[in-house]
Amino acid sequence: MQTKARTLPLSKRGMSFETVMWLFTRLTALAMYGFIFIGIVGAFVMGAQNDMSFVEVLRWALMPNTGHVTYTNVPEISPYASMFWKSVASLFFLTAAGHGVHGVVVILDDYFAKPSQRKWIRFWNISIVAVIIPIGIYVIWMG
Amino acid sequence: MEVTIKIFRYNPEKDKRGHYETYKVEAHENDRVLDVLELVKGHKDGTLSFRRSCAHGVCGSDAMRINGRNMLACKTLIRDVGANITVEPIMGLKVAKDLIVDMNPFFDNYKKMLPYLINDNPLPADGKERLQSPEQRARFDESTKCILCAACTTSCPSFWASDEYYGPAALVTAHRFIFDSRDEGAEQRLHVLSETNGTARCHTAYNCTEACPRDIQITKAIGELKMAMVTGKID
Ligand code: SF4
Ligand code: FES
Repeated sequence: MQTKARTLPLSKRGMSFETVMWLFTRLTALAMYGFIFIGIVGAFVMGAQNDMSFVEVLRWALMPNTGHVTYTNVPEISPYASMFWKSVASLFFLTAAGHGVHGVVVILDDYFAKPSQRKWIRFWNISIVAVIIPIGIYVIWMG
Repeated sequence: MEVTIKIFRYNPEKDKRGHYETYKVEAHENDRVLDVLELVKGHKDGTLSFRRSCAHGVCGSDAMRINGRNMLACKTLIRDVGANITVEPIMGLKVAKDLIVDMNPFFDNYKKMLPYLINDNPLPADGKERLQSPEQRARFDESTKCILCAACTTSCPSFWASDEYYGPAALVTAHRFIFDSRDEGAEQRLHVLSETNGTARCHTAYNCTEACPRDIQITKAIGELKMAMVTGKID
């Protein structure tokens, strides 16, 4: 009787693109919760204890950069111009862009099964994200 | 009681498109939808076509949409669906006639899972069975219950969108062999599953689990396959 644990090594099962992206989607979803948490805690640490409406909490959670917090009631927003917060915002943005664009590809793949169609879907989505990422990074760092 | 049954009808030799016809029959509340279909075929309209074989939920041939849900006509009692019944073919497969669909795409996907034991190692010294502990057998017990009725696959939105997706029934078959301690074909099957039309098309809609007349936890089984692809653990 076979008794030892059965595990297929990576070399045998391979890591297909689909499998890697399945894992990526799950991990990036978790990472985004982490970024939201960091954003909110950061806002509190920097004095955002008063006059925070729901909209402002969302703004601080999802877009922790000076450009987007200028209009909040938080007294001192300059800390958000630091390298640290710009890096957090950039990482958050890159994670969200990767997660989102892959999600769109996955859903479109449901409806378009021909290899040629799927090639176009990938081409257009990668093109769109290739344009959006530099714009987003520019706004975060120069905004 | 009088039962009103509205049935999808389509004759490829006469009709451009399908339509519904309504019949009234006398039936008992403990009769099954299959009995009502037999009454219609036997007494009202002999041209009505549907698949059935065992009539006891074993062969899987009479999956159909009953009041909008995929069920086996032979396991569905009138008292559970009411006296007004709508019966339609399962979705996502081409209708051949009335309630009969072309099952070829379904079975093509099934075959891609290599639905047989793969083990080229020599037999045990006594030349008899390859033994397995009760725990090892229990690991894939659920997925052995599948009767290939296609109720799950044809309730899946991803399969409706494209029948290139292998579908939940095929994945249940893969589960049945991959987690079998006697089988050595997991590597080949995981490669098939990791293609674009494999587990990646499952978005955990849970329709399959709800539709399965054998109560197989299909979405859970697919989740186990996804984990096996990531971790390599097939115990
Ligand atoms: S898993 Fe259930 S619903 Fe799907 S084919 Fe097998 S028995 Fe039918
Ligand atoms: S007729 Fe065999 S399962 Fe219903």
